[in-house]
Amino acid sequence: MTRRLVITGTPGTGKTTVSDLVAARTDLDVIHLNDAIREEELFTERDADRDSLVADVDAVAEWLGEWDGILDSHLAHLFDADEAVVLRCHPEELKERLRERDESEAKVAENAESEALDVILAETVERFGEESVYEIDTTDRPPESVADDVIAAIEGEMDPCVGTVDFIDYL
Amino acid sequence: MSESENSGAKWGIAHVHASFNNTLITITDQTGAETIAKSSGGAVVKQNRDEASPYAAMQMAEKVAEEVKAAGIEGLHVRVRGPGGNLNKSPGPGAQATIRALARAGLEIGRIEDVTPIPHDGTRAPKNSRL
Ligand SMILES: Nc1ncnc2c1ncn2[C@@H]1O[C@H](COP(=O)(O)OP(=O)(O)O)[C@@H](O)[C@H]1O
Ligand SMILES: [Mg+2]
Repeated sequence: MTRRLVITGTPGTGKTTVSDLVAARTDLDVIHLNDAIREEELFTERDADRDSLVADVDAVAEWLGEWDGILDSHLAHLFDADEAVVLRCHPEELKERLRERDESEAKVAENAESEALDVILAETVERFGEESVYEIDTTDRPPESVADDVIAAIEGEMDPCVGTVDFIDYL
Repeated sequence: MSESENSGAKWGIAHVHASFNNTLITITDQTGAETIAKSSGGAVVKQNRDEASPYAAMQMAEKVAEEVKAAGIEGLHVRVRGPGGNLNKSPGPGAQATIRALARAGLEIGRIEDVTPIPHDGTRAPKNSRL
């Protein structure tokens, strides 16, 4: 059984929602990394254009130490773990989810384009290898059903899989 | 700026979108408003996972190069977006094959820019984290 799982994916794909559901249904704890970066000041600078803190990857790794459980963040795949889940969402639905969260249109557009180009999937496969990555499409699915898939991955009841979606038509 | 660009030759922009699964090439005029030619990996290869391959990119580039030349365009500036399945090299292999094929077809290549978007939600990765 996986002891260190990262849940990554473009903002809005449902990482925080799903990781809380998985934590509630297993004995795994969840670390919400974005909160830690803010609260523990694990950043080097502020990107004013994107209203975002630039993560200090070395400082985060040190703060994490010998972590276990679930690491929730679109940066989670930058850290060592046993396996990685990459949540996906069609860019049009992703935009709706981000707009509901009152994000700026510039932020919505850049994240939707990132999702269409598989930016985070490619980074995750590069680091973990295809044999340790579970790409899960959340488009038109309730979070509970996505959590079922994540638990199946953790318990070894699902095979690793990548290349399951192609959103390039959005561009 | 190249010689032919100064001498009033017609230039366009090649937008190369290189995702994990696919490559999409769109050629527009200098303003980006008018599309002159367009091709995606799915149009030239049959098997899904080959759509992002350098081979598919090269075939697409050859096809769009003919359409672009027929429209009177002599040179292209290139804007690459996306990981293209290879993060150590920028641009990735699909994008590199595209640029080489456009040049081989007789088009002059001007500026090459990487404009890959950065996912962000109040935090973002440093630019050198893609290693
Ligand atoms: N499977 C889903 N279907 C529809 N909406 C979802 C789903 N998962 C999450 N959401 C909604 O989308 C928004 C973003 O979810 P969140 O879990 O915060 O994403 P992330 O942590 O990946 O940025 C929230 O408003 C959430 O309620
Ligand atoms: Mg979140």
